[in-house]
Amino acid sequence: MLWRKGRVLRATFGCNPNSSSLGVDVTFLLFGATFASALALVLGALLRRPRAP
Amino acid sequence: MKLEVVRARAERFGGIVEVARPRALLHVDREMMRELGQPESPLWDSPAESDAPLVAPTEVHLVLSRRCAAGCTGCYVDATPHGPALSLDEARRILDELASMGVFHVALGGGEALELDYLFEVAAHARAVGITPNLTTSGLGLGARDAERCRVFGQINVSVDGVGEGYRRARGFDGFAHAERALRLLRAVKEEVGVNCVVSRSSFDGLPQVARLVRRLRLNELELLRFKPVGRGARLDEELTPDQARRIYPLARRLMLRHRIRVKLDCSFAPMVFWHRPSARAAAFWGVQGCVAGDVLAAVAPEGHLMGCSFAGPPEADARVPGAVRAAWPEGFSSFRGFVRSAPEPCASCEYLRLCRGGCRAVAGAHGAFSAPDPGCPRVQEWSARNAADRQVAASSFALPVVRG
Repeated sequence: MLWRKGRVLRATFGCNPNSSSLGVDVTFLLFGATFASALALVLGALLRRPRAP
Repeated sequence: MKLEVVRARAERFGGIVEVARPRALLHVDREMMRELGQPESPLWDSPAESDAPLVAPTEVHLVLSRRCAAGCTGCYVDATPHGPALSLDEARRILDELASMGVFHVALGGGEALELDYLFEVAAHARAVGITPNLTTSGLGLGARDAERCRVFGQINVSVDGVGEGYRRARGFDGFAHAERALRLLRAVKEEVGVNCVVSRSSFDGLPQVARLVRRLRLNELELLRFKPVGRGARLDEELTPDQARRIYPLARRLMLRHRIRVKLDCSFAPMVFWHRPSARAAAFWGVQGCVAGDVLAAVAPEGHLMGCSFAGPPEADARVPGAVRAAWPEGFSSFRGFVRSAPEPCASCEYLRLCRGGCRAVAGAHGAFSAPDPGCPRVQEWSARNAADRQVAASSFALPVVRG
């Protein structure tokens, strides 16, 4: 399913309980652009995946 | 495994979808929205690449009150035991409007929101209209019964600016034992419990202890919030030193790796992160940005003022008036949204400008110029130092005697 056109452009995980903390998730920024691109494909595939019967 | 879309809304670039497990907001392009079966949007008739704002914030900080008995020395909303508060009806009406605009999350805070006897009704109403309510609390006075009721929230963070004596030094009273007890009670009923830690000049060295606490109590995140000289904090000399500003990002990474905890830095720390030159593509994908006020974030003050963020910015509307938030959103917030377009040096020539957005407007405003670059940014400090040195050289050159041959 990875060959389809639709793409995930950005991902933010979790919820922010603060006035200002929509900033930097150090956990994810450790990984570089290649990892981000790969994850975008995986997330896209998981979004499109048909629901289990 | 399939990511279940629980909510979605159209944007010019495509849309934003919320998935529940793992809890995330995903920006997707138009094609993906179609593949997910979302209806066509008139927004997709205009170019996808646009500087236009989102159709609504993704999150709104609802400052329910300026009411709090703790009296912390650096309280940024200047909360007092009898401060003003939004009423339950006002909060409900505002939530209704935010839901109709497609807002995904609200951050409920104060003041101390747990001092309001209608807090859980506000949270339940948010759930009822499809918004995830999140909470920041000092945890003071939280009992087992209220902890159980806190299941209604998404993420709950308890403010812990230091451990033991470090807490007392940072907040001005000895409340660490209460905060730790609250964390234990909350963690017993849910997993999405974390710590908020305001990083100031004097609390900086205590961060490893706070990280150890997060690990020991098996909390899901440590959020490091930059000290901002606003509210009662304006009277304190607690902004980070230039050396601390350069060290905060490497320190956050070290704490994450050493204690295997999730560490987040608030948007005001963006200049300190981008100074280390991380991958801009990765940063854009993970939503790493500087000032997000008037973009993904808005705030409502207890007096009803709709603002870009709860630390700064002119009131854009009275959020208690039905329809006012929706009307103000598309064209308002120019003091925040206009920065990138008219950024002065050294921001104008910075490769991270579109991500960093000049750092924190609240801090810049507190230093006298809302639209100036963030004075805490290491790049800004280096640029200012270079300019000062150049001026000195120019002045001394001008004074040299002219020797004629």
